[in-house]
Amino acid sequence: MTATDFFSLMPLIIIATAAVIVMILIAVKRNHSVVAGVSLAAFALAFLSLFRITAVTPHTLPPLLIIDNYALFYMGLIFAASFAVTLLSYNYLKSYNFNLEEYYILLLLAALGASTLAISQHFVSIFLGLEILSVSLYALIAYVRTWERNLEAGLKYLILAAQSSAFLLFGMALVYASLGSMNINDMAQLLSGANLGPLALIGFALMIVGIGFKLAVVPFHLWTPDVYHGAPAPVTAFIATVSKGGVFALLLRFFVAIDIYNYESLVIAFSVIAIASMIFGNVLALLQNNVKRILAYSSIAHLGYLLVAFLSGNNLSVDAATLYLTAYAITIMGAFSIVSLLSGKEQESDKLEDYRGLFWRRPVLSAVFTAMMFSLAGIPLTAGFIGKYFILSAGVHSAKWLLVIVLVLTSVIGLFYYLRIVVAMYSAPTDDMPSQPGISRSVSFSGVLVLAGLTILLVWFGVFPQGFISLIQNMVSSLQDVYLSMIV
Amino acid sequence: MLELLWLIPALPFAGFLILALFGSRLSRQSAAVIGVGSVGLSAILTLGIAIRFISSPPADHAFSQMLWQWISVDAFQPAITLYLDALSLVFIFVITFVGFFIHLYSSLFMYEEEGYSRFFAYMNLFVGSMLTLVLGNNLLLLYLGWEGVGLCSYLLIGFWYKDSENGYAARKAFVVTRVGDTAMAIGLFLLFTSFGTLDIQKLLQQAPQEWTINSTQAVLAAALLLGGAVGKSAQLPLQTWLPDAMAGPTPVSALIHAATMVTAGVYLIARTHVLFTLAPAVQTAVAVVGALTLLMAGFTALTQRDIKRVLAYSTISQIGYMFLGLGVGAWSAAVFHFMTHAFFKALLFLGAGVIIFVLHHEHDMFKMGGLRKKLPVTFWTFLIGSASLAALPLITAGFYSKDMILWYTFAGEQGNDWLWAAGLAGAFITSIYTFRMVFVTFYGEAQAEITHKPGMQLKVPLIVLAVFSLIAGFIELPHTLGHLTLFSHFMHSALPPTEVLHESVSLELLLQVIAAIAVLLGIYIAYHIFIRNRSIANNLTASGPGALLHRFWYSGWGFDKVYDTLFVNPLVWFAKINRNDFIDLIYTGIAGTSREFHRQLTRTQTGRLRWYATGIVIGAIITITVVVYL
Repeated sequence: MTATDFFSLMPLIIIATAAVIVMILIAVKRNHSVVAGVSLAAFALAFLSLFRITAVTPHTLPPLLIIDNYALFYMGLIFAASFAVTLLSYNYLKSYNFNLEEYYILLLLAALGASTLAISQHFVSIFLGLEILSVSLYALIAYVRTWERNLEAGLKYLILAAQSSAFLLFGMALVYASLGSMNINDMAQLLSGANLGPLALIGFALMIVGIGFKLAVVPFHLWTPDVYHGAPAPVTAFIATVSKGGVFALLLRFFVAIDIYNYESLVIAFSVIAIASMIFGNVLALLQNNVKRILAYSSIAHLGYLLVAFLSGNNLSVDAATLYLTAYAITIMGAFSIVSLLSGKEQESDKLEDYRGLFWRRPVLSAVFTAMMFSLAGIPLTAGFIGKYFILSAGVHSAKWLLVIVLVLTSVIGLFYYLRIVVAMYSAPTDDMPSQPGISRSVSFSGVLVLAGLTILLVWFGVFPQGFISLIQNMVSSLQDVYLSMIV
Repeated sequence: MLELLWLIPALPFAGFLILALFGSRLSRQSAAVIGVGSVGLSAILTLGIAIRFISSPPADHAFSQMLWQWISVDAFQPAITLYLDALSLVFIFVITFVGFFIHLYSSLFMYEEEGYSRFFAYMNLFVGSMLTLVLGNNLLLLYLGWEGVGLCSYLLIGFWYKDSENGYAARKAFVVTRVGDTAMAIGLFLLFTSFGTLDIQKLLQQAPQEWTINSTQAVLAAALLLGGAVGKSAQLPLQTWLPDAMAGPTPVSALIHAATMVTAGVYLIARTHVLFTLAPAVQTAVAVVGALTLLMAGFTALTQRDIKRVLAYSTISQIGYMFLGLGVGAWSAAVFHFMTHAFFKALLFLGAGVIIFVLHHEHDMFKMGGLRKKLPVTFWTFLIGSASLAALPLITAGFYSKDMILWYTFAGEQGNDWLWAAGLAGAFITSIYTFRMVFVTFYGEAQAEITHKPGMQLKVPLIVLAVFSLIAGFIELPHTLGHLTLFSHFMHSALPPTEVLHESVSLELLLQVIAAIAVLLGIYIAYHIFIRNRSIANNLTASGPGALLHRFWYSGWGFDKVYDTLFVNPLVWFAKINRNDFIDLIYTGIAGTSREFHRQLTRTQTGRLRWYATGIVIGAIITITVVVYL
């Protein structure tokens, strides 16, 4: 390996080293604050190192990895989200009195796995990254093992993720058997629009199952509410942003590279999944009474929206998908921050009842939560609107009318349950309301930091989006051109 | 200096935000400082910008400032841009200056009221919205301000919301103007589909190239915009909301329902004058609407007892003059009358407010009387305002602006003798009802005791506005009196000059003398009836056709009744029999279906792991089937 190779892998090396350092620190002496501080520093450093690496991109480390601007952007998203999760976790875990420090090792490793997905161009590294991510998540989800629901969520995720990995692995094997390569570039050149044999088709179908499970799209979504509900709120935020972000980065790179748009049957399969996800996700969330479960179902729908952008298959689609994912990550992180800041050892504040009349006791928190809900619903002047606008214009550009119409109609359904939360928050408090210890908890400095940052980003993105749009276009637009030129 | 333009609307908006967010924690003093100060700073800035604009005009006599481009996707590039030219400069000057003095006045006038900071929050929001309306370079931004001022008007009419009648008046104002707003919105859609832009300057350039004179689209677009203007400016047939709007606090009536918001229709027509030139029929309709309105409202004002309602009808009538001016192509004259009217009408409302203030919310003029000695400052300023409203020759601003409109109505290319006669008759009636108000309120025997004296914050605005009501006319003098054209010359960089058919100084003089005689005669009649011999009026209205006419005029020509029978009652009746709206069935049906679908779907969320695992397998089978067989 050359110096440039090492240099371009700097962020991953930083995260991996931090994991080792944390392990050693724990062996020497347990100290929650120090461990959390080191993790924060690692994510911050890794994030900053990305700016230096732009000098050498695109840089390939054959055969497994490629570090291009697209990967850098997604890694940036992953590190920023992990940073926020770390802050929230520190705040959230403080009240527990068992061993907390290992949590951060798992968090660092999970982020490492997700970033590996963003830079992979080979089945081996893809699978490796996915497994690093999954195995860390099993433990993270079940980390607060004193609740029954928590353990249950961890176990469910373990078994189902293992099952879906098996599908993914078998799919990769079939693709390899029929194409003779596991490298995305080679596959792109081998295919170049040629017809796929049944073996390869089944292989791709099985890979869709594996990836679909991680993204929690219909019909691989059944686990989502139980795991979102059972996991500690910061871990739920991590799944919703980092885990899904990493897998989506992989999905885009892989299927854009092999130019999926030439293979109608694959496009149809994805379209069915997208439509089903938008409808099922929104309808399932409709009358839920648990905020975490509402957000779980809504995440199914949002991934459906993302697939619309991906399926548009024009020069807007990668931009639109990335924009939407970024907006969604900011928003959902904000929403889960509030849930997690109001929760603690005594109680997880996730029932809709807990939020009734919140405005009259916590006006600022409620205002922020309202902004997040508006953004999820896609109301103008929030990040969510810009994202949805771009997805719509990508879909309209390619005349994907069915997808666009389903998106618009299901968004209306979505408005109902987001507004239900908002209405609950602003409804007048009643006297017989159960006193909620979590609700009156004061928000720590780190919590304020996360919330303020996310709110500013949310509004800035919504009001002055042009800067974000240009940044994203600069970073990710190249993806399509690179692979297209390769085929020609 | 011009680069600071954005601050002019931004300051009141900032004031609104501060008052809205922290109003409940602020003391009355600080609420007043923020509320009055923000508009005051805007006024100072406006002055600076006006000086700079006049002393060294920017290229093309217009200054555009792009504040912010929201996003840019292909051709869709919404940007927020302010546009300053002579027309918008006059408007922002009036809005910030008159606005500032009314805010200052309110700081004392409203001091005892509950919701003091709420009042200033609404007022600041109003000023910000009104400035957005006149500064927007784009019809969409104008519409945003247009709706913003409508909202503030609604909120402020219903400011004393605990009395349900005020709430009713607020709703009436909102609903009636909505009729016009809807027409205007359709007009905007029409313009957008025709030209693909709502940028006003681009529209005005493209319209004459693409539309021929009297083409259907031009007529339709102009008519729809006129609909919006008629609603906002309380002209026939949508004038019924303004008298009821007097339910709001008096400073609100002065600022919103006299000086600024109700003239938004005038601004809209002047701003889009090219469209009206392309549709001469509609432009004539503007003049006719103005002429009829000014007469109708004038007669109604003759019979009112409530001092604020007299002023409200006189506002409708004076805006009728502005419409008359616009309709005959006397664009600058209409804007000139807007400016002088803002000064003297705000002054009259504020004066009336002082009287109401010291007499404990007494509105009935016939229960006032004899206030001349007790309220000298109020009396003299009110007299000046009344003289200006009645267009007392030579010394008042109202004379010069009204005379300019009348002259062009007679002599202008699009002028018409009948319209001129209506305007003259209107001037005659105006002077009668104006001086009836003065004589009944300030002369005769005192009917009520005054309890406290008005303070400085009330007097200063009166004096300043009185000075403006006198001198503001001298910037534009007719041929017969020195021929000074500072104002119209300045306006011609934004609005086309009026073509005059017969340029004759002697004719102009003749018309002026006729108008002056009409005004003086009106004043004399008012003097004769209301000071010398009150019984004349009583006899006139006591019985027979006089009483009938009086009742008819007093009710505002029965418009409310007609509208109630024609629109309101049938609608209420329909709403009653259709209590369970049949159209709602569609929506409840959709909602019910969604719920049922939700119920069925949640059954798949069993929580059982074995079912979840099976789900993935079924999904895999479906995916493989789709991929292989499709």
